[in-house]
Amino acid sequence: MKVEDIRVCILRMEGTNCEQETFDAFKRLGASPEFVHLKQLEGRDVGADEARSLDDYHILMFPGGFSAGDYIRAGAIFAARIKASLSGDLRKFIEDGKAVGGFCNGFQIMVELGILPGMDGTMSEHPEAVLHSNDSGFFECRPTLLKHTNRGRCVWTRDIPIGSIRLIPCAHAEGKLILPLEEADALYGRLFDEDRVVFQYCDGSGETNAEYPYNPNGSRFNIAGICSERGNVFGMMPHPERVFYRHTHADWYRNKVGSEEGDGQVVFRSVLNYIVETF
Amino acid sequence: MSISHLFEEMGLSAPVMRVKLMGASDQEMEGISREMSIGLSLDEMKRVQEYFAKEGRDPRDIELEALGQAWSEHCCYKSSKYIMKQYFMNRSFPQALITSEDAGVVEFDDDHAYVVGLESHNHPSAIGPYGGSATGVGGIIRDVVCMGAQPIAVIDPLFFGLLDAGEEDIPEGINHPKYIFSGVVAGIRDYGNRIGIPTVAGSVNFHRGYTGNPLVNVGAVGIAKKKHIIRSRVGGPGEIYILAGGRTGRDGIHGVTFASADLSSDSEEKDRGSVQLGDPIVKEPIIHSCLEANERGLLRGMKDLGGGGLSCVSGEMALDGGCGAIIHLDRIPLKEEGLKPWEIWVSESQERMMVSVLPRDVDAVMHIFKKWDVEAVIIGEVIPEKHVKALWEGEEILNMDLDFFTAGPEYCRLTVPREVSREILEADIPLPDRGELEASLLVLMEDPNICSRELVFRTYDHEVRARTVVKPYVGDPFSPGPSDAAVLKPLEDSWKGLAITTDVNPGMCEIDPYRGTLSALDESIRNLVSVGARPHSLTDCLNFGNPEKPDRLGDFAMACKAIGEVTDHASIPVVSGNVSLYNESELGAVPPTPTMMMIGLMDDVRKATTSDLKKSGNIIYLLGRTRREMGGSAYYRSIDAGCDRVPDLDKQLMMDSMEAVLEMNSEGLLASVHDLSEGGLAVALAEMCIGGGIGLDVNVREVGSLDGNGEEMRVDTKLFSESNTRYVIEVEPREALRVEDCISRHEVPYTKLGTVLGDSLRMTRGEDLLVDIPVNVLDHAWRGGMKRLLEGSQ
Repeated sequence: MKVEDIRVCILRMEGTNCEQETFDAFKRLGASPEFVHLKQLEGRDVGADEARSLDDYHILMFPGGFSAGDYIRAGAIFAARIKASLSGDLRKFIEDGKAVGGFCNGFQIMVELGILPGMDGTMSEHPEAVLHSNDSGFFECRPTLLKHTNRGRCVWTRDIPIGSIRLIPCAHAEGKLILPLEEADALYGRLFDEDRVVFQYCDGSGETNAEYPYNPNGSRFNIAGICSERGNVFGMMPHPERVFYRHTHADWYRNKVGSEEGDGQVVFRSVLNYIVETF
Repeated sequence: MSISHLFEEMGLSAPVMRVKLMGASDQEMEGISREMSIGLSLDEMKRVQEYFAKEGRDPRDIELEALGQAWSEHCCYKSSKYIMKQYFMNRSFPQALITSEDAGVVEFDDDHAYVVGLESHNHPSAIGPYGGSATGVGGIIRDVVCMGAQPIAVIDPLFFGLLDAGEEDIPEGINHPKYIFSGVVAGIRDYGNRIGIPTVAGSVNFHRGYTGNPLVNVGAVGIAKKKHIIRSRVGGPGEIYILAGGRTGRDGIHGVTFASADLSSDSEEKDRGSVQLGDPIVKEPIIHSCLEANERGLLRGMKDLGGGGLSCVSGEMALDGGCGAIIHLDRIPLKEEGLKPWEIWVSESQERMMVSVLPRDVDAVMHIFKKWDVEAVIIGEVIPEKHVKALWEGEEILNMDLDFFTAGPEYCRLTVPREVSREILEADIPLPDRGELEASLLVLMEDPNICSRELVFRTYDHEVRARTVVKPYVGDPFSPGPSDAAVLKPLEDSWKGLAITTDVNPGMCEIDPYRGTLSALDESIRNLVSVGARPHSLTDCLNFGNPEKPDRLGDFAMACKAIGEVTDHASIPVVSGNVSLYNESELGAVPPTPTMMMIGLMDDVRKATTSDLKKSGNIIYLLGRTRREMGGSAYYRSIDAGCDRVPDLDKQLMMDSMEAVLEMNSEGLLASVHDLSEGGLAVALAEMCIGGGIGLDVNVREVGSLDGNGEEMRVDTKLFSESNTRYVIEVEPREALRVEDCISRHEVPYTKLGTVLGDSLRMTRGEDLLVDIPVNVLDHAWRGGMKRLLEGSQ
């Protein structure tokens, strides 16, 4: 299909607040993004012209922010509301091979939903992982270097050469990915073996065991983003939408490279290419 | 004296008291004002008595409460207006589109305007640091939204007592600065981050003078299409008032009257109820829904409920539209049962917006609010008669002439400017040797007012919305230095940039409020010019002591004088502002603190310059004049030397150097630029080294004027003087001639200092080595300063 026919659902509720820049990213690449309030999918308090169905879209985006204030646990309330009314539609959306992505709070929501890491199937009944408070104990708004270590499974990063390093900022208080401790080693083993690890925090030389501040939250193996077994469901803590262009890089004025493309742009291009080829 | 006999239940369906003002004695009227804590003076009570005598009835409690609020210093600026008019109000500049409302509206380009506001939330933050600062952010964001603008930045200048203050220095009933500091920062973090507006600039200042009364100033900037700008007034009779957002509760009662009196030792307990509570997750949908309704052309007027609550808003909106209003108080959604009508009327509960809508658009507007789960209620209507009336189940419980109600008193109080001695140029202290100079520089690098604030700023999201081009820290992403100003790219389809800075040096203002304010304004201009932006508008937040004390008001007048002089000379409009008086506790008044927030514009954000050194071999120049004026300098503070000679301002040089730097910026001649402020030349150079991760070799022989006897300036004055209007620039050797030609053409004095080189900051005077410190040592002192301060004070 043509890129302009790709419909992107930028899902929001009270407290989501990175939706504009996420919308802009898809728009700039020629796709057709749309802001959709959760209630438009639930069919609550909306007119006939405002009601929407997940089925109408090819890409579902969970933007960053503080959905419902993150007051219980980051992403928990948003996830609960989706589970209550849309889990069937969402399951079908994923199993049709359509793309689901989330950055920062979006990633937290997907983990709460049980669609990531999705160790056994599309959507687990209970969360299989948690994004825990940063080791520093602080909200951390800082640049991070990400090494792309995915061998090709993730449709959101397949246009990024393996091993390439990108400067993509993070801004979160709860970004430390933790898998169930009792079987952690086995699970981390599977994530790597099944090629589900997508981005790892690293230092300038590409070392993926670099510590704070390179690893802003203490995530084990410096994992910053993971994908589902099929590769169409992807979540990461840092914000690629914040470096769509070069001039929002933390150091654009230090090495002017001529190109206006920022390090995060390719994430959006990759998934659009995937949809164009697949549907 | 008991005055209970002056209050009488009226026997209406709602609990309303008649207050027997007719024939009340002076003493009784003072008693009433005190009893109701409405803060009205005897003269003001007499005006009220006169009005109701004409009406032929006694006032109800709700009417006196409303007047106490409307006539408070906070709401009607009764002590400050006269002075501000004298110096800088009522001037007009072409770029200032609207300057009469809560936030200023200023031209950005042909189709867009930016909206800017700055407010204080001082007293609430002294008592409830977390809630106080959070609602400060909420309030200023609403001021921007109610002009129809999308907020794009939050800015927060903060002022605290010393974190290492001993318990014995903290009187009973006053919170420790460390407690206030951590609460305020957490409040701004949790609120600003949750509403998704980046906190891009601000300052954290420490000074003994803020121990009893911290200052929390919060600013916001928004952007809007000019055609979407909406006023805070009704369109005409018959329009419907809709109240949207948070419910009304007891929080925030008497907030403004509390803000209009000194803090006392029992404030903690007595005034807690006047600290509002915020809810960012109500606020965030309010922003979306109000802007959506406005952009669809469904609103005639919009105003936020801040200080003054329902009472001020329903009246002011109506009167500004040449009308009056009827409000059905029993329809206001409440947080809790049992609020008295007067409590509902004056409550300053947060997250509330009032919109005025044509009857035919009511359904469409209510639907938008419902879609966003924002509670909205039709609470009244606009009437032709210039009165504000409140009804409860149809019974009238308030009725006042709006011209009387809103015509707060205006005073011309006595002002006595303080004596400032200009005699002593420099303290008579032994000349420091190399070791002492190096030690002094390292002490300054970790000075609480100079060291890195990353510990605070990294906890604020300064990049959400993805439009922050120059961030609070610049240089190597993992070991950056300080940025002079933040630069945003507000529009998707334009490269045009908006730069923001906020400045004031309390150490200078406490010695010489006039020159301290001149210095703050010059620093604002320097910071904007350093990143390549042309100063475009000013918003101020003037924090001073009790205006009923002539010396405090004298300080205020001197600050206003300075603002008037500089803004006139540089043609920079004062587009909005806020005055916060009564910043006093039993420890006395805060240092005069005229906080400046200046906005600059640039044609192309890709031309922005930063302070971090770029390349080995580049040449370093110093622009401007270095003088013997060490008053209020960080160096003298650090060695306990006294001097009242605060840096003066040469306005012509201010303009000339601005034009020179902006011209070099536009021609792409500058690799880096940094302004000289606290800690002078030595600290500025050190900061440039830190951001660039590279060293410098400079010779300061030519720095500084000769004194009367043709004697060369002391080396410590050369290194640490904080004279105004100075910049350090880094230039590639091949551009040196063009740069020198440009600077000379603008008649700006300059000195070639040296070269970017090596990995240490090396400063010599001719042959004598003054300072030689490795950059990583400077970095460690500067970056870790605040962490050590916090841990040390535990």
